[in-house]
Amino acid sequence: MDNLDNIFSQPTRRDLMRFGLACGAVCALGRAGRAITQDTPGKRQMAGPKLEGVARHAAMHWEKQPENRIKCVLCPRECEVADVERGYCGVRENHGGEYQTLVYGALCSANMDPIEKKPLFHYLPGTPAFSIATAGCNIECKFCQNWQISQFRPEQVESTLVTPERLVSVCKSRDCPTIAYTYSEPVIFYEYMHDTAALARQRGVGSVMISNGYIQEKPLRELCRQLTGVKIDLKAFTEKFYQEQCAGKLKPVLATLEWLKDIGIWFELVILIIPTLNDSPNEIKEMSAWVVKHLGPDVPMHFTRFHPTYRLKNLPRTPVSTLERCRKIAMDAGVHYVYAGNVPMHEGENTYCHRCRSELIRRVGFRVASNAVKDGKCSKCGAKIPGVWSQGQVIPG
Amino acid sequence: MSQQRTRREFLSQVGVAVAGVAIGGVAAPGCAAEPDEAGKPNRKAADNSSPRVAIARDDALARGRVGEHRELLRKLLDAAVQKVTKQADAVGGWRSMFRPTDHVGIKVNTLGLSTQPAVVDAIVAGLLSAGLAAENVIIWDRFDTELAAAGFKLNKSARGVQCRGTDAERYGSGYQRDIEISGEIGSCFSKIVAEEVTALICVPVLKDHNLAGASLGMKNFYGAIHNPNKYHDRNCDPYVADVVSHRFIGPKWRLTVCDATRAQYNAGPARHPGFAWPFGGLIVGSDVVATDAVAADLLDGERKRRGLKSLEDDKRPAKHITTAGARGLGVADLKKIERIDV
Ligand code: SF4
Repeated sequence: MDNLDNIFSQPTRRDLMRFGLACGAVCALGRAGRAITQDTPGKRQMAGPKLEGVARHAAMHWEKQPENRIKCVLCPRECEVADVERGYCGVRENHGGEYQTLVYGALCSANMDPIEKKPLFHYLPGTPAFSIATAGCNIECKFCQNWQISQFRPEQVESTLVTPERLVSVCKSRDCPTIAYTYSEPVIFYEYMHDTAALARQRGVGSVMISNGYIQEKPLRELCRQLTGVKIDLKAFTEKFYQEQCAGKLKPVLATLEWLKDIGIWFELVILIIPTLNDSPNEIKEMSAWVVKHLGPDVPMHFTRFHPTYRLKNLPRTPVSTLERCRKIAMDAGVHYVYAGNVPMHEGENTYCHRCRSELIRRVGFRVASNAVKDGKCSKCGAKIPGVWSQGQVIPG
Repeated sequence: MSQQRTRREFLSQVGVAVAGVAIGGVAAPGCAAEPDEAGKPNRKAADNSSPRVAIARDDALARGRVGEHRELLRKLLDAAVQKVTKQADAVGGWRSMFRPTDHVGIKVNTLGLSTQPAVVDAIVAGLLSAGLAAENVIIWDRFDTELAAAGFKLNKSARGVQCRGTDAERYGSGYQRDIEISGEIGSCFSKIVAEEVTALICVPVLKDHNLAGASLGMKNFYGAIHNPNKYHDRNCDPYVADVVSHRFIGPKWRLTVCDATRAQYNAGPARHPGFAWPFGGLIVGSDVVATDAVAADLLDGERKRRGLKSLEDDKRPAKHITTAGARGLGVADLKKIERIDV
């Protein structure tokens, strides 16, 4: 058997710290050691019978080409893949002219995380999200915190096979309101996410995708019928950054954001601020203006702190003052909800009513210490607060 | 999860920037490597002559099964090695490239149209003739499963020639834990190439590649890194040269034996019988770039002969060969390479 039940029932010390029950420790680590950063998998990993080989399943969103080649149209890369070869993400393979995913249910990480860790601050605050990942990613950020799973092929990472049925029934039986598809890049395990989210929705469990936004329109629209929330990492606001630091492009991500707006699903933005690479006031100003113009002022922006890792170890951690500056620029541009992330106890981690500026949600680490949002409204001035405040809002009935 | 590092390991990782390492172990163009007094190959160039690439062909090889021609393969390979190294005989040729104390990794290609085991047997015989112990030779590729499917007999015992995949123990345990940076690539290398071997022989197959143009010796070393899927953009260029430049590969590279017993001129790298090309030969050289350049030229010639677009016109030129040449990893200019028919 897998250890899904244990993940629910036995919080580790780290879980407790993450939930803020050992807040002193969180703060100390945040200052002196490796900070507890958003959306990294915890220490405890999937256990259970190891997957032998890969978890093959018919892939969605691809087209046949001559000579047994295929073209994948799941993400903007549009990989042309010859027989026996794989796409850029390393988890989709051409098998005799048929495209297959190799990670259907092959979970390499599973953790019970607070939804605040994703971070989603306007989505059922204070609730847990069962967070899962498979190996693989469709871009390569030089600062990836989770590169040991995102930049490896499935057979190079220990995985356990968990069917959508098993995952959803465990969540249901433990009253976990949300499954988060996260850590690596869920777009590349699209089929599993899609099927699991559809089943979860039927059983009253929500699904949030924590993604880089590198996906094409058709699969996104199809997927969003099953999802209940999305977080997108907007890595920067220049093509140069996307090309040099992420092996990707900015334009398709902006398109995704506009489609999400059009679809009407709840989503939030995270921008990891990296000293000298994407922290210029002008860039943040342009980005914020674009958000207000194209997405509206109610899409929250989280400016989060960078820590040296993976291929980007030569830069320092982001000064808190830089995050404060970014936050101010975005608020001045008219964004209603702007946060500073990965800085525990900072006032920028709290939610303030955009109309009366009173404190609505106070956060300590990833724990919600107080919440003054009542029925989706500010309890002081009655302003409607954008977000998902009850499961019924996203899964009627 | 085996790839998960502890925090201590994680923090202790130091980015290693290694770029543009010259291929020190490979004979310089025109090198007639003479063993020095200690029997150690002296790899300094004796003159400035062109690198030699031998094309050893026999019509008989194109008939029947390759495994039926072991004797012929051995003869052809020995003759090619003798010509390439400019030694008096084949044994002298093998000895000029390998010391008895070397641990030699034979990198085969088992993705799609695969290296023939009989060709590798001929290489092993050559190494043994140079005084190497069988236990010091390892035949390897990415996966046990692919090696077995290509007809190689796995051997993980302490006796005889070793044969195993990097992923033999699964879960990425066969790759180094730390990432290596070389030019634009950032990869974990196979422990076989990084930690076990002192010398490399590359045994690719003469075949077309839908993105790189041709899948030859240098491209074959995508099988030494954990994330080759990340490096197929821009016709795999400059990534192939980045991999080959790395200190784990370039300085250890001694010989390329391109298996052209059964070649494929289109729709590679997967096996595609409709484009099979019974070349019936081996392309042998100790200059990694020159050997690939000659093989790519033969491939393009065959495409032309069959009325297909050249790789260039098909928008998949084998740019990585030119890049490797420009970086000084070997000679890419065909006019500067001496082709020898054996
Ligand atoms: S999902 Fe993977 S295979 Fe498909 S286009 Fe994107 S990177 Fe390529």
